[in-house]
Amino acid sequence: MSGNLLLLAAVLWPMAAAFISYFIGRFRKTARNRFTVGATVSEFLILLILMLTGDSSFSLPKICGMSLELQMDGFRALYGCIAGFMWMMTTLFSGEYFGHYRNRNRYYLFLLMTLGATVGVFLSADLFTTFIFFEIMSFTSYVWVLHDEKPAALRAAETYLAVAVIGGMVMLMGLFLLYNAAGTLRMEELLSATRTAWETDRKTLYLAGALMVFGFGAKAGMFPLHIWLPKAHPVAPAPASALLSGILTKSGIFGILAVTCNIFLHDPTWGMAILLLGTVTMFGGALLAVFSIDFKRTLACSSMSQIGFILVGVGMQCLLGELNSLAVRGTVLHMVNHSLIKLDLFMVAGVIYMNLHQLDLNRIRGFGRKKPLLMACFLMGALGIGGIPLWNGYISKTLLHESIVEYAELFENLAEAEEMGIRLMGSYGLMKGIEWVFLISGGMTVAYMLKLFICVFLESNSDEEVQKKYDNKKEYWNIFSRIAICGSAAVLPVMGMLPGLTMNKMADMAQSFMHLEHAHEVHYFTWTNLKGGLISIGIGVALYFGVIRTLLMKKTAANKDGKVLREYVDRWPAWLDLENGVYRPLIQVWIPRILGAVCGFLDKYIIHIPLKVFMSVTGSVAAVLDKYIIELPMKVFNSVTAAAVRGMDQMADGIILLARKTTHRQILTMEKEDIRDEAAVKTGRFLDKVTRKTTHVASLVELEERVSRTDSIIRSGLSFGLLMAVLGLIVILLYILFV
Amino acid sequence: MIDYLLVIPVLLPLAAGGIMLLSPAKNRKLFLWSAETVVVINSILVWALLLTGTGRENGVVLLHLSPELKVILRPDGTGSVFAGLVAFLWPLAMLYAFEYMEHDIRQRSFFAFYVMTYGVTLGIALSGSLLSLYLFYEMLTLVTFPLVLHYRDADSRKAARKYLYYSIGGAAFGFLGLVFVLSVGGSSDFVQGGVPALREAVESRDLLLLIYVLAFAGFGVKAALFPVQKWLPSASVAPTPVTALLHAVAVVKAGAFAIIRLTYFSFGPDMLRGTWAQYTVGGLALFTIAYGSTMACKEIHFKKRLAYSTIANLSYVLMGCCMMSEAGLFAALSHLVIHAIMKICAFFCAGAVMHKADRHHVYELNGLGRRMPVTFACFTIAGLSLTGMPLFAGFISKWNLAMAALTEGTVFGIIAVCVLLYSALMTGIYMMTVVVRAYFPGRGFDYNTLKEIRDPTWRMLLPIGLFAALLILLGVWSGPLMNFLTAVAKGVL
Repeated sequence: MSGNLLLLAAVLWPMAAAFISYFIGRFRKTARNRFTVGATVSEFLILLILMLTGDSSFSLPKICGMSLELQMDGFRALYGCIAGFMWMMTTLFSGEYFGHYRNRNRYYLFLLMTLGATVGVFLSADLFTTFIFFEIMSFTSYVWVLHDEKPAALRAAETYLAVAVIGGMVMLMGLFLLYNAAGTLRMEELLSATRTAWETDRKTLYLAGALMVFGFGAKAGMFPLHIWLPKAHPVAPAPASALLSGILTKSGIFGILAVTCNIFLHDPTWGMAILLLGTVTMFGGALLAVFSIDFKRTLACSSMSQIGFILVGVGMQCLLGELNSLAVRGTVLHMVNHSLIKLDLFMVAGVIYMNLHQLDLNRIRGFGRKKPLLMACFLMGALGIGGIPLWNGYISKTLLHESIVEYAELFENLAEAEEMGIRLMGSYGLMKGIEWVFLISGGMTVAYMLKLFICVFLESNSDEEVQKKYDNKKEYWNIFSRIAICGSAAVLPVMGMLPGLTMNKMADMAQSFMHLEHAHEVHYFTWTNLKGGLISIGIGVALYFGVIRTLLMKKTAANKDGKVLREYVDRWPAWLDLENGVYRPLIQVWIPRILGAVCGFLDKYIIHIPLKVFMSVTGSVAAVLDKYIIELPMKVFNSVTAAAVRGMDQMADGIILLARKTTHRQILTMEKEDIRDEAAVKTGRFLDKVTRKTTHVASLVELEERVSRTDSIIRSGLSFGLLMAVLGLIVILLYILFV
Repeated sequence: MIDYLLVIPVLLPLAAGGIMLLSPAKNRKLFLWSAETVVVINSILVWALLLTGTGRENGVVLLHLSPELKVILRPDGTGSVFAGLVAFLWPLAMLYAFEYMEHDIRQRSFFAFYVMTYGVTLGIALSGSLLSLYLFYEMLTLVTFPLVLHYRDADSRKAARKYLYYSIGGAAFGFLGLVFVLSVGGSSDFVQGGVPALREAVESRDLLLLIYVLAFAGFGVKAALFPVQKWLPSASVAPTPVTALLHAVAVVKAGAFAIIRLTYFSFGPDMLRGTWAQYTVGGLALFTIAYGSTMACKEIHFKKRLAYSTIANLSYVLMGCCMMSEAGLFAALSHLVIHAIMKICAFFCAGAVMHKADRHHVYELNGLGRRMPVTFACFTIAGLSLTGMPLFAGFISKWNLAMAALTEGTVFGIIAVCVLLYSALMTGIYMMTVVVRAYFPGRGFDYNTLKEIRDPTWRMLLPIGLFAALLILLGVWSGPLMNFLTAVAKGVL
């Protein structure tokens, strides 16, 4: 454990505070709210102190199998502070917003835990640490998305979690590969480590990079992993949406930057890949936003589009090589701008939602009339994000635009490119095309912000009663919300109007992270620079009146005054949804079905069939053995022994028979004619008299006959002889013994 | 002479179990607490013996089957890891079982066999030769059989029969391995890096490899290796203390442990590395990982889902083992230890839900998170850990496994990492769906339907909470354990 402990505190304090607030919240609600505000303010102060006291670092070895490395310098300090600032503002706003919500304790618990994790991501000095905090952040912020527990929220949360888990796993795979190839994950050492691996193992590095960008890009909302973004942001509570959109997406960008600038520094191939992905994201997001008729969904899609702008900047950094000063500064500043603008805009959306509990443009139409302060807050954000000169978004968009122009010009000036050692990729036409996509996307930004602004703050509701109710609503936000929102809004024009004092300083601070030492001076308000902005604005206004007010609105029945009403319609085809059309069927139906079928099949047959075959084979073998090998000899043996036994059995009888026939043959003698039955007759008669029956004589005679016959058989039989012999033997024995 | 103390941990539970079966004691409380006392004393003894290194040099010969064949106990590093783990978990699992089994009618036989299994498992862990390991391994089947059969109904009879057939059949293949080790190697005593004579037997290499694969699959039966894994999900009909401790740790880990012994201490990794045998068994292990995780997602029975997860996770251990390197052994051991803790924690939570709420299927778990806060908090921790989330112990062992696979530098290693990540994703799905259901039943869920349900008492919560705390502790600060395991894998200890 070494280094500045305050850094560790910046990460752990919010996490500890999360549990404290949960504990307090079980007893006192207001105390809990005050405590959370205090916690976020103190966190912001800690970060601010860290930023002002200069670079510092902290490392805690042997944590989670590797070591925990935190660092506070340039870009990290800047984004740490922005995170702290945003949390402070949203927490301030949360008090009122969540007034009637259930499960507020849970919300605050995860709000503060996510703060700690997010700060951890931004302060991390090696990718392993980034990953750990990134995963914690994904899981804790998941609870925000499903906070409402409505079906839409549950579904969006499911998507969010799925994207987070898949992204995390893929990123981990990338980290494995990178660690294996480079031997380190420390950002400082990565550049030199990968330079040595670059020549031998470039494919692995590209693969590792792509996997990591997949993971980070999923969180950033990069196409084609943006699917969670337009769904999760609208269903989350507004303060949470502000954070999701403003800062959590930036943590993804932070990761992409860390990978890009440390592994693929000035690599045009990599840059081109990111640039193209960024372009698609930028245009797609803007297109979705133009079509959307839900206030928060528009903002969410806009976030996606702005992430695309930032990614274009990241791509240009690589393409431009040593000349990337504009791209670097544009990227950083657009990140900062987008964070701050979305903070403001989502909180305005929160104000609308907490009063009306809906966000459909046709319903909330006219809510903002006669509410000048709210309108001003929204306008600051809208002008900022629209890239209107004198507001902050203009500065960063100009820088990004100029970097594209600069690269396109290199194609016409090949000598200079060669001199600077830049390997050109793509072509002049491609870069011009991207430039125009950039300008049109900028225009679309203007168009959809115009749509929101006109709808909510200028038009009146189609139902006059409702409008009256809206107009009479004066107490629509309390003092804390007002401070939070106005505070966030006020920053935007200040930054835009004084870029030299504010934005240049930020860019100076952050650029070392992207290995940029010197930046050349840019005058933001020259004609060439203004031209790009003005083209965008022109396109935007044309789109608004040409497309949104015509194609994306339809007439409804006239009201009682006969005035024709028009309402916003969602003309985006429902089937054109990457999540429901491709990802969900793939993950929920096809992959489980196929794999499940394979596993089930193997389960059933791999064991079953061989077992059956085995059983039948062994069964029949055993049956054959049984029948022929065991049974037959058995039978033979049985019959032989049976015959033998029977023979033995009859031997004795045979001998006896033989003896009777020969030696012991009975001699037939004449029967003596004597009166044999005298006693029987006498007793019989006597008994007859006594019992008055006549049967006794016959039966007694018969008995006597039988006795005498038996007696004669015994006497003449062998057995008797034997008996006598035995008796004789016994007598002899007794004689010998006793005499 | 003091070495003979080693015999006590093995024989004491066996004797105690025998006495428990026969004793006429009527007092349930006395009966149980004396059983617990025996187990605790035994565990303390095991730890004392391991820490003092008793018998590490020479070991104790229990009996001679013939002058060459001796049953010997000798705790080396790897054995100590398993013995220490078992000794740590058993008293806690007993404590948990007290409450879980409180209304059961066959407690006497249950606890008697439960205690006996302890002794046999320690026998496996402390065995100093493949022969003695094999003997205890067969005994393990026999003493755990009544536990699977416990409820005596049709399902458990069927499961018990299946368990018996599979185990005995598998052990027969293991026996084949033992015979070859003895006949070719001359001795079955464990030597780190393999029996020397076996390594030098060059001419019969292919035959030996075949025997290795067969023996691997044979011992793999207990480790639920595909395609002989079917008994494990069926066996989850047994009481939860059995499924948790035996079918997530003792029995199945005995299989994995036997394979580690077979690979690193009998045949030797050098002989196996880079051969078709390595890729065959490695392929089987990888397939089992994918299979187990996928089936777990499909399964809706709570405990069976965890059983499938066990199938996958055991093959993580086998996969580490199949790397045939020090790093592989290290990773296998670390997952052996960490998975034991996280899976027993998850099973105990599932058991608590079954015991208190009588819910057996995943779709019945809606909203229970609020009613059983401690149980589900611990389950969440176990689930995140199983998924491999950083800050939890599971991440460490998965990181080790992935690193071991990648340092191989082969295609096999890269496929292994991909499978690992696929499995992690599936784990996320099958564990998190439970958590999400329990905590976020959706708006308008009526909590009154769950009014009666509460967290269990301290006897269940203490083990669960302890395991959960340990998972976080190891996740954040695993240095000493990992250093120890590295030393074990290097053969220093």
